[in-house]
Formats: sequence, structure tokens, C-alpha cells
Amino acid sequence: MEFGWSAEEEAHRARIRDLLARTLPADWEQISLHGPGSDAQTAYARQFCPVLAEEGLLVPNWPKEHGGEDAPVWLQFILGEEMWAAGEPRGGQYMNINWVGPVLMRYGTPDQLERHLPPIRAGQSLWCQGFSEPGAGSDLAALRTTATPVEGGYKVSGSKVWTSYAGLADTCFLLARVPAAAGGAEGKAGIVILLTDMKSPGIQVKQIPALIGEGDIHEVFFDDVFVPTTDRLGAEGQAWEIINYVLQHERVGIARYEFSRRTLDRAVAKLKAEGRWDDPIVQEKAGRALMLCEAARMLVYRIVDGKARDLPPDAFGSVARWAVVVADNGVNEFMTEFLPEGLLGEDPMQQAHHQRAIAAGIASGAAEIQLNLTARRWLQLPGEKRR
Amino acid sequence: MKYELTDDQASVLAGLDQLLAGVDTDPPIEPVVFEYAAALDQTLAESGFLDIAREEGFSPLDAALIVERLARLPQVVEAAASAIVAPALGVPAGTRPVALLSGPLTKAARYLPMAQVLLADRGDHALAIKVEPDNVETVETLFAYPYGRLKRVEGLEQTRIDDVATLRRRWRIALAAEAAGCMASAIDTILEHVKTRQAFGQPLGAFQAIQHRLAMAAETAESTKYLAFRAAWSDSESDAAIAAGFAQTRTAQLAYDLHQFAGAMSLTLEFPLHLWTYRLRALAGELGGGSQQARAAALATWGDAA
Repeated sequence: MEFGWSAEEEAHRARIRDLLARTLPADWEQISLHGPGSDAQTAYARQFCPVLAEEGLLVPNWPKEHGGEDAPVWLQFILGEEMWAAGEPRGGQYMNINWVGPVLMRYGTPDQLERHLPPIRAGQSLWCQGFSEPGAGSDLAALRTTATPVEGGYKVSGSKVWTSYAGLADTCFLLARVPAAAGGAEGKAGIVILLTDMKSPGIQVKQIPALIGEGDIHEVFFDDVFVPTTDRLGAEGQAWEIINYVLQHERVGIARYEFSRRTLDRAVAKLKAEGRWDDPIVQEKAGRALMLCEAARMLVYRIVDGKARDLPPDAFGSVARWAVVVADNGVNEFMTEFLPEGLLGEDPMQQAHHQRAIAAGIASGAAEIQLNLTARRWLQLPGEKRR
Repeated sequence: MKYELTDDQASVLAGLDQLLAGVDTDPPIEPVVFEYAAALDQTLAESGFLDIAREEGFSPLDAALIVERLARLPQVVEAAASAIVAPALGVPAGTRPVALLSGPLTKAARYLPMAQVLLADRGDHALAIKVEPDNVETVETLFAYPYGRLKRVEGLEQTRIDDVATLRRRWRIALAAEAAGCMASAIDTILEHVKTRQAFGQPLGAFQAIQHRLAMAAETAESTKYLAFRAAWSDSESDAAIAAGFAQTRTAQLAYDLHQFAGAMSLTLEFPLHLWTYRLRALAGELGGGSQQARAAALATWGDAA
């Protein structure tokens, strides 16, 4: 057991920081103000991701046969940390790299790989995740959007909600249910995954004004949208296995604690400049927020370590995700108490952090689901009887 | 960054487990506030486990792994200060048990009734004080450690140590490693209880109200453990203060929740939970407590106003 970085890892981090310093525009804080899904950040990502691709830093984690570098897990993770801490200049494209690409490589047909991987590798493709519905959020198995088999494909009807990036996405990783009347199986087995072209006739996207910035929350309506069978990922009945693979691939999640830690560093620098840092109360509260960030870091690193050693995923991811949510909110609490002016137009990065923090316990499944999973799978507690 | 034990670390812990298999580590049969494991103390002292940080090729992290493991036992044995603190302050190997104290010399200190040396944080310096057994009075307490206080503070045989920062840093690391072991055993004790104890037709542990709080307790214990190990590895001021402060600030909630889940049974000395939670409560107040550690972490990380 040891907690240091290798020379290669340190050089990799330095290289990424140098690239960011050279590449991000002077008005980056304004661009990133409204979040990875905003028009401005999505547009900038289409410039930035090709730069990363040229440097071999867009999909280094992918296998060489698919245009990657077979980069070690820790190098990919360091890239994710630095990107998220900088406000995520890859915009919503980080999803493509982290899990859309890998899941296609595992379950996609040659035709799907040929169509979808090149634009991802070129940094020109944006995906959205058509999972949640008005009646099915963290409880995905309850989804009701239908995919009725027709000649050559499916007709999709229903709606999705909370869908990040949907307004500008090219493709939707869409979950829908084959109706029982059309031969669909009950429950999870009746779900199919459709790689749906967002320009298909019958799709309507409506952005929902939100506290967390632009482009993060949408409703997507599907009105008899035809999706060819060639766009179905995996077989009918295989969707739940694929979703679990996605979730496993996302077991680390994004490095939220790193953005929180850097936000805290900047806050302390500001408090020092304003002559407020010698207040013991400020120091204590900053120290408490710092402890939460570092706790989250240690737990997330434990997951990355498991991935690096090729260990099978375990329920520890849920333990770590809770720590990350607590850290994000701990820093947010500190900022709001001692630097409320940051939310009054004085500090775009603080506002960006605030908007990420309030979503931390909701995005990617409610934090309470992580507590359930920790209880059942990590602590091996029994399930509650239905009453 | 490697979370896997090295071969040496795995071998040391396997050796420790083997040693522990040969001594009685069941919870005390009689209801007691604590049970000092004098026989284990002697065995550990003779085996050299507590001197590991003094050995070539080993470090405070190896010592912290041992301390965390020992802290899981129902019995208490002075290990953390001997293994982690004393080697950095020039205390000779074998001069132990070691007691630690901050503030006035008349305050009660853990392990003082059996200690050979008392390391005292005196603000701008530290003292290594030879402990004369007849100068110690035992202090009765709910805290699950042996406590004592010096009867007189004049004429003590003492050595001045200028490097008080090292005393505090290693103390914080020791405290965090010990807290991590205590948290692990406290949670294990309650898990066993809530998986077997039935209420309203199902195990207590099936209720979501309990599950969520236990999941949070698990996060506290895991975070404490890895923060403690990182601090022991880096031996840095900030990591040490972060680890100790995290453990201390989380203790109240963890202890409250775990006692709550065993109800009135948890208030008895027969139910072993208190053997760990009352060690945690004792640790939570050391070195000024979690708020002081939080400040120390902030200052070590970001410096002072200048």
C-alpha cells in the first residue's frame, strides 16, 4: 500500500495542466458558467476535443484497435480529474469517452462501431442518455416509453425527462420497453436499447429552465419515432445486462471532489486577499470542508485502484459516491456561508461549482439509492419486506 | 497509488493475526468499562511488532496497519503511541507503554497507570516525562481506556523535546489509525445485531431508516481508515490533521447511531459496543478535538494569513 504518484503519472498530470493553460480561452470562466450542457460549452467542446484528440488525450483509455492508446486506468482517471476540475471543457462529450464508446465496443455491431466511434474519436459527437422518465427516475425498471416492433425496426412513443445534453445531442442512448401486447417480456427483460438519431422525425426536445444551468435538464418527447433494428444495441432482453455494464464502467463517476477541492483552494486564496483568513471560524470550517474532499478522494481512488488491478467491481462504488456527494455539499455550504458574493455575479466558477454541487446527490441516480446499495451489497443487510 | 498491501505488509499482518490467534481476544465475560490486555501487551512488546517503524525498510504506515488491527480487539492495549509516536521522538525501544497528554500536566491521560513514559505537548515544546507508578492516581471514567493523572508535577524526571510538531503529527496519525479500527469493530458488532434481532416481523437491519444510517457509518469508517493510512504513509502535517479531524468530527454521529440501533441493550456494559464507541469518544476529545484538527488541517494546507 502506498499513496504516491509515479513519475509517469505526475508528468501526465503536468502535461494536461499545461495543455489546459495553453488552450482554454481567456473567457473560459464565462463559457463554463452555465455548465457542460450549455450552448457555449458544447460549442467550445467541439473545438477543444479535437485538440485533445491530436494530443492523444481524447480516448487514451480505449483499446488501440479502436483508436485509443490502451492507457493505464490511472492515467485516464487523472485526465478526468483535471478536466472536471477545470470546469469540463469536453462538455457532454466526456460521457462518450467514459462509457458510450466502451459499451459500443462490447455490445455493438461492426456497423454500429463504424458509424459511431469515428465521430467520438474526432471529438465531434454528442450523446444524451434517455433513461429517466416522469414515472421512472432512479427506479429505471419502471420505464414506460414503448418500442413497438414494426417492419424493419421499432416505433418509439413516450417521453424522457431530466435528459442532459438532449437539446444539442446527435444520438440518444435510449431505453424503451417492448409492450407486452407486442410480445415484450415483463419487467427488466422487456427493455431494449436503441441508439436513436436525434434528428429522427417525431422527436421533440424541450429545455426545462433549471437552477443548475443551461442544457442540463430537458424533456424529450417521442411520437411514433421510427428506429431501425440496426440501431438496437444488443438483443432484446439483453438491455439490463448492458445497463449494468454501463453502470460498472461508470463506477468511479466523475471526479467531483477535485472541482470541490480546487474551488476551496480558490476560496481560501480569496479570503486571504480580503484579510479574512485569520478568523479561526473560517479556518475551522474550511478545514472541515477540506476533510470531506480528501475523504471522498481516498474512497474514489480505492475504486480506481481496483479497476487498475482488474478486480471485479464491488459495492464500494456506492460508499464512495456518498462521500463525493457529502464533499460537494460540504464545500458548497462553506462557500455559501463565507463567500455568498460568488453567487451574486462575482465568481462564475463558484456559481458553476454550486450548480454541480446541488445536482451531485441527484444526477446518476439519487444518493439515497447509493445508501440502499451500500446497505444491501456492502453491508449485506437484508431487504425490507413489502408492507 | 496502490491500495493493495505489499508482500511485506501482508506478511506482517499475517504474523500479527497468528500472534492474536494465540491469545484470548473474546469480549470480556464480566461487564466492564474496559479490559486492559496485559498479557497481550507483553507478547506484543516481546514480538517486536510495536517497533516496526524503527526497522529498516518499514515505516509509520506499517505501524498504522498494526494499530488499526489491534484497535479492533475488544481488549485495549497501548500500541498506537508506542508504534507510531515514540519512534519519532527519540523514545528508546522498549520504553513503553507510552501515555500522551496535551495541556496542563495535571490532566488525566490514557494509559498513564501503566505507562513508563508520558509525552506531553506543552505548546511550544514537548516533554518526555518518566512515569513513576507511585506518582499516578487512577481515574474512573466511562471512556474505555485506563486513565490516570500525575499526583505531583514537581521534580519530574523529564527531557525537553523542541519538535512538538512531530509529537502532534504522529499523535494525529496514531489517533486516526486507532479510531479506524474501533469504528470497524463497532460497526461489525451492530451489523451482527441488526441482522439477527427481529422487530415487526423482520430483522432490524431490513428497515431503510437503519440501513441508510449504517451505510453512512460505513462511509465514515472507510474514509477514516484510508485517510489514516495515507497520513501514515506521507507523514505530512496536513494529511495527519485531516485524518484525525475527520475521525473526531464523525465520531459523535457514528456513536449515537450505533447505540441507537441496539436500543437499551447498547446502554449496558454486557453489550460490547461501548468497548469501541467509548474509545472513540475518548479519542474525539484529544488534541483539542475535531474543530482544532480542522483548523490545523486548514493551516497546514493553506498556510496562515501571511
